[in-house]
Amino acid sequence: MSATATAAPVVGQSTADESAPVRLAVKDLNFYYGDFKGLKNINLNFLDRQVTALIGPSGCGKSTLLRTFNRIYSLYPEQRAEGQILLDGRNILDPSIDLNELRARVGMVFQKPTPFPMSIYDNIAFGIRLYERLGKADLDVRVEEALRKGALWDEVKDKLKQSGMGLSGGQQQRLCIARTVAQRPEVILFDEPTSALDPISTGRIEELIEQLRGEFTIAIVTHNMQQAARISQFTAFMYLGELIEFGPTNRLFMNPSKRQTQDYITGRFG
Amino acid sequence: MSNHIVTSYDQELQNLRRSIAEMGGIAEKMVADSGLALLRRDTALAQAVITADQRLDGLQREIEEKAILLIAKRQPMAIDLRETISAIRVSGDLERIGDLAKNVAKRVVAIADQVQLQKIVVGVEHMNELVQGQLKDVLDAYATQDTVAALDVWARDGGIDALYTSLFRELLTYMMEDPRNITFCTHLLFCAKNVERIGDHTTNIAETIHYLATGETLTTDRPKNDGSSFATVDPQSSSQSPTKA
Repeated sequence: MSATATAAPVVGQSTADESAPVRLAVKDLNFYYGDFKGLKNINLNFLDRQVTALIGPSGCGKSTLLRTFNRIYSLYPEQRAEGQILLDGRNILDPSIDLNELRARVGMVFQKPTPFPMSIYDNIAFGIRLYERLGKADLDVRVEEALRKGALWDEVKDKLKQSGMGLSGGQQQRLCIARTVAQRPEVILFDEPTSALDPISTGRIEELIEQLRGEFTIAIVTHNMQQAARISQFTAFMYLGELIEFGPTNRLFMNPSKRQTQDYITGRFG
Repeated sequence: MSNHIVTSYDQELQNLRRSIAEMGGIAEKMVADSGLALLRRDTALAQAVITADQRLDGLQREIEEKAILLIAKRQPMAIDLRETISAIRVSGDLERIGDLAKNVAKRVVAIADQVQLQKIVVGVEHMNELVQGQLKDVLDAYATQDTVAALDVWARDGGIDALYTSLFRELLTYMMEDPRNITFCTHLLFCAKNVERIGDHTTNIAETIHYLATGETLTTDRPKNDGSSFATVDPQSSSQSPTKA
């Protein structure tokens, strides 16, 4: 279940590593909201310990794509996905997949911080207790480890028993990231994680994502193009349910090969 | 390229383009006037070239400030970022072109009362005219982001280099023939070198246009014919025809 770090993580290396192994492979994926086709024949690889940004105008399908990776859409009976999404070679769209296990392996952080109405400590411990039976001492270690990885430990170590709801927006978001990390997932999905945050908190989250990249494969949906350019190694541009262009972030933002991509990232989109 | 959702962004890029065009016009006129001043020994025209350089320097500072502000405010991407960076580069090249033309003009004033060899002055002026054509073409290519026209300018610079090398040899020969020619010929040699350098800045602009339009840097070496760095003239053979070397 834990992320398998085979090589030393390279934090702060911003260039794309195109030779990294494929962690998540999307093959011929179509997605339907009832009769409406939200994703059209998507083929895309997410590489191990690289940050892939999904960009595109509202309604282009980027969040829809993200939501297929942990099958959170299956809460809604009229939504369905066809095709394949291979996580380490196994198709997660297969009905026999255990959804709880999948969601532990593929964690998700949402736009609005969603702390549980309980103490900071329990916010983290809650998810761990679902899957593992740990003694108090072991649990303490895991909570501290997660809060450290969430870059929150120093700010909350003296008030672990206080409510998570009392934290600032940025701290709450880092608490949610720590809660996700505590499950020791392989992939972390971020759905516009900073759009409700001030610039300083945004900077902290971006710094955190950079650090997490050493250990996890990350997919992030963002409306902030500069953010995508700053924190990702690969970028996928989507429009009207289609994948228009995918490539190393540096190339895509300096010299995109498709006109639509250029029009969008330069702020000319009609 | 226009049609940003934010129209003031379009205007800011448009302003950059306009300022580059204005700089280009001034630089072109300075180069042409410096050549004419040299040919006609016109010190008043030379003085006008020297004065015009101030405006060019001012425009360059203005473009740099506008471009930096645009980067800070808009965080341009792709073609917009390349255009902003290109404006900074091209304004730098045009500013240097102005400096070189100004230097020619200063030498026109310095050699005004010297014995002049009109034949070789005509040679420098001819080279100047070729460079003017290059500069005009490259500025047109910049305005239309025409990478084919830019590459053409880039390739043609070899001809100017070859002309410079032959002028270089010729001037050395005149100097050896009569030491009284040395002052005049040395100034003229610097004039020719300045014109040759203007040609180099023109090719820099051509390279920038290629980057602006394609997003790629030209990596192949430009055809060069400037052999003056290796050219020598043997005093024993100085009685031979100066252009033969």
